[in-house]
Amino acid sequence: MGSHIAQRPARTAAEARYRLIRSLKPRMTGTQSVITAIFVIVGFATTAAITGNGTNGILANARQSDLVSVLDDLAQRQARLQSEYDRLENARANLLGGDEFQALNEAKRRAANLTLLAGTAPVAGPGIRVTISGNLTATTLLDAIQELRDAGATSIEVADADLSVRIVANSWFADSPNGVTVSDNALRVPIEISALGESSVLEPALKIPGGLQDTVGSGGGTFRVIASSNIEISAVVPLPK
Amino acid sequence: MIPAIGLLIGVLMGLLLHPTVPLWMQPYLPIAVVAALDAVFGAFRSVLDGIFNDRIFVISFLSNVVVAAVIVFLGDQLGVGAQMSTGVVVVLSMRIFANVAAVRRHLLKA
Repeated sequence: MGSHIAQRPARTAAEARYRLIRSLKPRMTGTQSVITAIFVIVGFATTAAITGNGTNGILANARQSDLVSVLDDLAQRQARLQSEYDRLENARANLLGGDEFQALNEAKRRAANLTLLAGTAPVAGPGIRVTISGNLTATTLLDAIQELRDAGATSIEVADADLSVRIVANSWFADSPNGVTVSDNALRVPIEISALGESSVLEPALKIPGGLQDTVGSGGGTFRVIASSNIEISAVVPLPK
Repeated sequence: MIPAIGLLIGVLMGLLLHPTVPLWMQPYLPIAVVAALDAVFGAFRSVLDGIFNDRIFVISFLSNVVVAAVIVFLGDQLGVGAQMSTGVVVVLSMRIFANVAAVRRHLLKA
């Protein structure tokens, strides 16, 4: 095929175009068919490579370390779900196969947990007691409660000299003269917050930079924390009728 | 013209048959395709340079594809497969650019 084209570069654009067109003209020779076969392979391989890429998604292009971490995540998740499954399966077997006594025990255990959440019964246990005096706003108090909850406090009570209020999911806070109103109870400073939980976690939670201690201190108030192994929370939320 | 029809047939076959690329071939096929494209554009250039030779084209095509695949395979064995395929792709794309630029200069004189 190359023999009838002069062995030199095309001199003009017209000649270049002429050569290109002539080289594309069909001529049934042996080499043409070889080249055609090659082009069939090129087209086939190109589309195969393109479509093959699309079906494999993100994982095909991920690096080995990424794949390992993905696999790790999945294994952890599977272990977590498996333990959850085992626990529920156990509880189910207990309830089905056990006598009424076991079912009653399970129900009592749940009721105790729910009582803790709903704040309908007095509780006692290890925890901390925080005394705050000076200017205390509802925002500061709310921040402190949130901080304690984040630190794992199970039950929280806010009290002044006369009143005590159990903090539950629907408690609310508002500013009032000389103190804070918590769920319709006007509390006056100094205010005492009792929280049950790990005192070694709860105490630092209030003392982090920018936390409750800093806020109260910058407002000119005083802040005192006592950790105790027996904090009593006597305030309860009345059960709805 | 016939090769162009062949290309079309190949593309249609690829689209209709939905071939699954064997796993061992997956890292090498894209590289081989880029190498093949380089050979094809090189052929266009040599047609315009007046030095096209079908024997050279076929041999260069095959050797391009094989060498590219072997380099990537070697990189895989050495643990630098990803970098090696990047390098091969960069070099081949540069050659494709150079070839296309030569064709463009011939056709448009620009």
